[in-house]
Amino acid sequence: MSSLALRRRAQLAVLLGPVSLFLAVFFLGPLAIMIVTSFLAPGLYGGVEWTWYPHNYGRILGFADPMFEDFDPIYIAIFLRSLKIAALTVVAALVVCYPAAFCISRLSDRWKNFCLFLITLPFFTSLIVRLFVWVLILRQTGLVNEVLLTSGVIARLLDLIYTDGAIILGMVYVFIPFMFMPVYASVEKLDWTLVRASLDLGAGPVRTFLRIILPLTAPGIAGGAVIVFIPALGNFVVPAILGGAKVMMLGNLIEQQFLAARNWPFGSALAMMVMSVMLVLLFVYVVVSGRRGLDAAAGQ
Amino acid sequence: MKILATLARGSLIAYTGLFFAFIYIPLVLIAVYSFNANPINMMTWSGFTTEWYAQVLGFKTTISENALYLESTDQLLQAVWNSLRIAASTTAIATVLGTAIAIALYRFDFFGRRFYRVVMFMPMLMPDIVLGIALLIFFVNAGIGLGIGTIIIGQCTFLISYVFIVVSARLAGMDRTLENASADLGANEWTTFRKVVFPQLLPGIVGGALLAFIISMDDLVITYFIAGVDVTTLPMFIFAMLRRGIKPEINAIAVMMLTFSFVVASLGLYLRSRQK
Repeated sequence: MSSLALRRRAQLAVLLGPVSLFLAVFFLGPLAIMIVTSFLAPGLYGGVEWTWYPHNYGRILGFADPMFEDFDPIYIAIFLRSLKIAALTVVAALVVCYPAAFCISRLSDRWKNFCLFLITLPFFTSLIVRLFVWVLILRQTGLVNEVLLTSGVIARLLDLIYTDGAIILGMVYVFIPFMFMPVYASVEKLDWTLVRASLDLGAGPVRTFLRIILPLTAPGIAGGAVIVFIPALGNFVVPAILGGAKVMMLGNLIEQQFLAARNWPFGSALAMMVMSVMLVLLFVYVVVSGRRGLDAAAGQ
Repeated sequence: MKILATLARGSLIAYTGLFFAFIYIPLVLIAVYSFNANPINMMTWSGFTTEWYAQVLGFKTTISENALYLESTDQLLQAVWNSLRIAASTTAIATVLGTAIAIALYRFDFFGRRFYRVVMFMPMLMPDIVLGIALLIFFVNAGIGLGIGTIIIGQCTFLISYVFIVVSARLAGMDRTLENASADLGANEWTTFRKVVFPQLLPGIVGGALLAFIISMDDLVITYFIAGVDVTTLPMFIFAMLRRGIKPEINAIAVMMLTFSFVVASLGLYLRSRQK
């Protein structure tokens, strides 16, 4: 081996070595331990017993350990409910972002960059502060009720906060940048000559939208949907603040298992459910759109 | 047909106006109402005051003399101090490691490059609660006491990815002719890196570092799981306050945090986007 090749190898080792070690120990390692834990039995006083115990998953999916407790459909109900709320969040975020992406993509470069800056900026402000604002707006003595009551539109206070709607609203609000960026990327690349050709050849606006615009921007929509759905599914801060005690989601259930119930194996199994949904989604996404799509979505 | 097109255009612009209103009006509202004197009904305007700010910053106010229970300013300042210390350490570590891996992946060709790219994106895609509990199980099993140290390590696992992405974008858009020229003119590799590559990379590195700093300051979920019982960061402090019940002081803290984030993030985003 030439000395130059050796030098490059040494350089590469210096660059990669520390990061590899760090991520192997503190990222891949913990994930592996969590997977193992999800198959272990919970100890009596909060610990873990080293025996094979698939019933953690059984408690969720219907084959609970009869020695320990009966199957309780509440967990699968929470799981399905979280899937539903995450799906509705995706749809709502898309409705909010899609038209705006078209408008912004037609602006001059200066304005375009400014708009993109305004959309990215909130991502870097405190999540908790952004959610707190919605508490002030939605709660019983909040702004909406205050305005509607004093203007005489409503006679008694509305229950806005601590509902599914409040959670979805909160998640849409904090996930706007996640949906907007991939959608915008594909809208900006849209070839408008195709749209014009379609209109010239006699297709109406609706048909042009369904046959030309929608398919061409589908990769961005799919990318945005995946990266909004994943954090929405496991979210625990939004339901904790805007859902109150009434609305339980997977994230809150996991938190409870770790910090209150101290059943770590069951909590890990729940987290694995979130992970498997994520992996399935990513797999489908990669198969459908090719590898490039994933890089584009993740890199925004 | 022309009228229809104009109409469609007009409604699209109006919609986009609403879109930005949706994002920013809540933030403007909180800024305005943080000066509201009404101590009970925070969204009913009853006069201008700066007392909440004074209260948070630890000055003597009429509120502090009359209130039954007060948020302790000492605890708040301790939380701020913890957050700043943690953010400074994580930023330093994540910036060095993130930049190193970006250079390795963009300037070297080696076996397993694709694998590294996937691993770099994983922490960003993974729901933060999963990473949080995985780290908690790991630290407890490994016998590492929870505290500032574990928070720093935990946050670095995903902050490295953020720095990596910002610096990679910079590397991808870099003009290599200057490097070739430098090599042709007889500069060795290290000199070329120091005098040509690094200066071009610097805005990306600083931008990535600022964004990492602000994300670290704001992180709630991962920190929440691995903080242990003794350490509280600023987001955790506010989360706890919110769970106890909402008080006007939170408004003032929130507005100060927003201002701080806006300034640092704007600078970071500006550096990230700057071309030359």
